[in-house]
Amino acid sequence: MSHIDPAILALRALGEPTGTSHDDHHVAQCADCQIELERLTRVVDLARQDGPLSLEQPPPGVWEQIAAAVGEDAATAAPSASAARTEPVVGAEPVAMTGAGRVRRVQRKHQRLTVALAGLAAGLIIGIGGAVGVAQLASAPTSQVVAQVELRSLPQFPQWQGASGTALLQNNGAAKLLAVSVTAPQRAGFYEVWLLGRDGTSMISLGDLNAAHTGTFALPAGVDLGFYSRIDVSLQPFNGSTVHSGTSVVRGSLPTSAVGAGSRA
Amino acid sequence: MTRNAHKGCTTVIPVDVPSDEEVSAAFSKGDPDALRLLYQRFGALVFSLARRSLGAGPDAEDVTQQVFVSAWRGRDTFDPGRGSLAGWLVVITRSRIADLLRTRQRDDRVMLRLAVGTSTEAPAVPSDQVVDRVVLADEMARLPEAQRLVMTLAFYSDLTHEQIAEALRLPLGTVKSHIRRGLRRLRSRLEADRVPH
Repeated sequence: MSHIDPAILALRALGEPTGTSHDDHHVAQCADCQIELERLTRVVDLARQDGPLSLEQPPPGVWEQIAAAVGEDAATAAPSASAARTEPVVGAEPVAMTGAGRVRRVQRKHQRLTVALAGLAAGLIIGIGGAVGVAQLASAPTSQVVAQVELRSLPQFPQWQGASGTALLQNNGAAKLLAVSVTAPQRAGFYEVWLLGRDGTSMISLGDLNAAHTGTFALPAGVDLGFYSRIDVSLQPFNGSTVHSGTSVVRGSLPTSAVGAGSRA
Repeated sequence: MTRNAHKGCTTVIPVDVPSDEEVSAAFSKGDPDALRLLYQRFGALVFSLARRSLGAGPDAEDVTQQVFVSAWRGRDTFDPGRGSLAGWLVVITRSRIADLLRTRQRDDRVMLRLAVGTSTEAPAVPSDQVVDRVVLADEMARLPEAQRLVMTLAFYSDLTHEQIAEALRLPLGTVKSHIRRGLRRLRSRLEADRVPH
């Protein structure tokens, strides 16, 4: 008796009705396949329980305490805290918080900064706490993928060479959702997703990636993706600042086709 | 599944995150760099478990620190033949959390904290289910990017595997393979870390 295709078993564990009536018949009769299906289903249930999984990085000071406790040479570099020393933030200045939420608006003297990096930290910044859990996708009636964007590291940040990512723009009828996944080294701090405006100074904060470096964000209703056409992921230090750190890990541009479809969110 | 079916998928592994084998080997040898590797690899796992049990505040940081110091001092007691390094750390973490909770119980201030409602849940040593969720999160974070994205969509979106393949412009076989191998890998990790020490 040949067993059911393991891929079909995995999809069934995810709740996707797939396979043939022959497969149904086999699973009903085969204890091995039933056990396998149950074990996989347990993993799926565990993953879905309470929504997406995330880990929290310990604050940088913890490693120093450990190193000190075991009497290690202080010269031993902290595993991730060393990475907390990000590039100097060009044009950074104290941020004015307006309101209690994440919405913030910083206006300052406009400077002609030709370097894109400089533009990131300067100018008008509007952050909108539009992050939603990926689980919310599950309740969406239909999700239509509008565009897939490859995210790449930038030449001016050689330390992120090799970092990459994917952004998936979806339309579920009610809202535009952006699912982002990034492959980059674990560093002190956290990764934040931004939409960058064509003027090089405007940006919208979409939210933070989880420890798995993934996240799904609802775009603000009415956002003009013809203008906010670039997706940027920054590494943000835990310094309380709500401004782009100036360190861009990866970036990508929405295709014009998606811009048209997405401009009226 | 032929290698060709994987054409077009990105499998870049984070460059400076050591593999479990590297960490385990360095740790068993007492390599001076091993503690740093251990923390780099499992710091988030231990801290997340502590946070889930103890909530926000310095206790979770203290426990994290104690776990790695204990692990280093007791590294001779780690036997790779008896289970995974992560599973061993989980046992130590639970033990340190239990110690801390006992101390807290003796501390009248905890009553005050509970009374003012700063803690919504009674702190407890993490259940098997909490441990499993944290371990699962850790393993998800270790998946190559393309596979992680496929698994995230498979778990949390309403997309079928055909829709995922279309969305990510991956061959159907690749998506099926990512799902099959991904689920199996997550399951294996859960089972490996559950081995009692």
